[in-house]
Amino acid sequence: MGYDGGPMTEAMYYVLLALMNPNHGYQLMQAISDVSKGRLHMGPGTLYGVLSRMQKEGLIVLSKDDGRRKTYKITTEGEQALQIEYSRLRALVLDGIVLKEGDINE
Amino acid sequence: MSKVVWKFRPGDYYRIGEHESWFSDMAREGLHLIKMGHVFARFIIGEPKNIHYRIDVSKNKDISLEQKYLYAEGGWDFVASYGDFNVYSSSDEIMAPELHTDPAEQAYSLQELHKKLIKNVWIVVVYTVLMLVILSTPLWLPNGTFTLSLIEGSSILLPLVISILYLLYESISGLISLRRLRQELIEGKPINHHAPWKRQQRIKTTIAIVYILLVGYVIVMPFIQIAISKTHILPEGKTDLPIIRLADVENNPELKRKDSEETDWEINIYTKKHSFLAPIQYQSHEYGVVSDKMWSDGSGTYSPSIHTWIFQTRSPVLSKSLVADLVKRYGLVYKGGEFIEIYHPDFDILIIHDIDDVIEIFTAKGKAVIHIKYYGDASIETLIKVTSDYVSDLTTTYEFIF
Repeated sequence: MGYDGGPMTEAMYYVLLALMNPNHGYQLMQAISDVSKGRLHMGPGTLYGVLSRMQKEGLIVLSKDDGRRKTYKITTEGEQALQIEYSRLRALVLDGIVLKEGDINE
Repeated sequence: MSKVVWKFRPGDYYRIGEHESWFSDMAREGLHLIKMGHVFARFIIGEPKNIHYRIDVSKNKDISLEQKYLYAEGGWDFVASYGDFNVYSSSDEIMAPELHTDPAEQAYSLQELHKKLIKNVWIVVVYTVLMLVILSTPLWLPNGTFTLSLIEGSSILLPLVISILYLLYESISGLISLRRLRQELIEGKPINHHAPWKRQQRIKTTIAIVYILLVGYVIVMPFIQIAISKTHILPEGKTDLPIIRLADVENNPELKRKDSEETDWEINIYTKKHSFLAPIQYQSHEYGVVSDKMWSDGSGTYSPSIHTWIFQTRSPVLSKSLVADLVKRYGLVYKGGEFIEIYHPDFDILIIHDIDDVIEIFTAKGKAVIHIKYYGDASIETLIKVTSDYVSDLTTTYEFIF
């Protein structure tokens, strides 16, 4: 089953974001921590599951494979999906702007 | 050489949190997991350690090199695999990051397994229904003798029925556990790696022991039957055996035992048998002769005989059903006469058949079932009276519980 364009999991979103620069395994976990400014520390089990699934869905592809270490990169479909998810999340944040004003009024 | 310990698994495969918690608790006691089986887990005795265990779903039996290295770099080493799962461990000192950090993603990883389990349950349900229909054929065939088949052939049927029902229980309980786990992950609740496992292990162990005992019993049963099922020569005169004797029916001091004229082997015999649903069974054949008396039609010297089948079943309900089956089976040899059910206060059920000096009685009282086939000129009333006295004797003299 391919990606249906629905809301992404947090793990999917950050893996795609980190793969804007091709990367592999353990370094990718570091890259995700960096891109989320240390907020997200992804476990290897979650990372491997997300990579396998997104590769099947055509959102990422292998750019290099030496057996034990595979390097992935985002595909055009992956970038489009990421863009759509970004717009969706942005809209959510904008809709919630009233909460920020509430903070100011306090 | 290191010592190996086997232990019953707690709950079914799909109770992941309980298994992880159990492995960690065992490691703290110095038992380190090395292999998982269907029923048992194998541990090696070592130093008590604080080790975290995590269970991962594997779509393929083989773990890819990439996964192996990724997990190892993250501090998680492969320990064992079982069914659709792989077990990884990480020592407390390493402070490895959690293996799965996103419950929603972990729920995705269980999706394929969930589909597979639903398919398995359907296969098992269809198989169970088919097997039960086949095994119960005697029940719905017009002349079927289901109870008699169960009593005579329970050693073949029971293990099959027990195994089918156990398989069904395992499949359904597995699916329920996986569904619950998946639902919790979808709702964002991570797996509880310290889930209590003792209660589930007690339940699982009890069910497994009952299953093993039952299957063991029915496997050993044929050997018990062979050991117990022995044919003996029927002693002349009174015995302690729960058998109706020809002398009690004939009540004639001139009655002598008749032996076979054509063969060398003994014809006055009794056999003791045993089966799960009818633990006490006796079958006897006794032939007599009264040399100064002729058959009423003048066909020769009067030589009566009696054949008895006695059962103690597990329940009165089974007894009544067995009587009905005996009538069906032995009634097939008759072309004439009728089987008549008579109300009698001494019996729960009493059916008689009387034609040409052959009387058959089929009766049940509580857990006891008696079938008599008599050739001779004694009346039905005499035979019923003897049977009635015999039944009251059974309640006091033998282990027949009413």
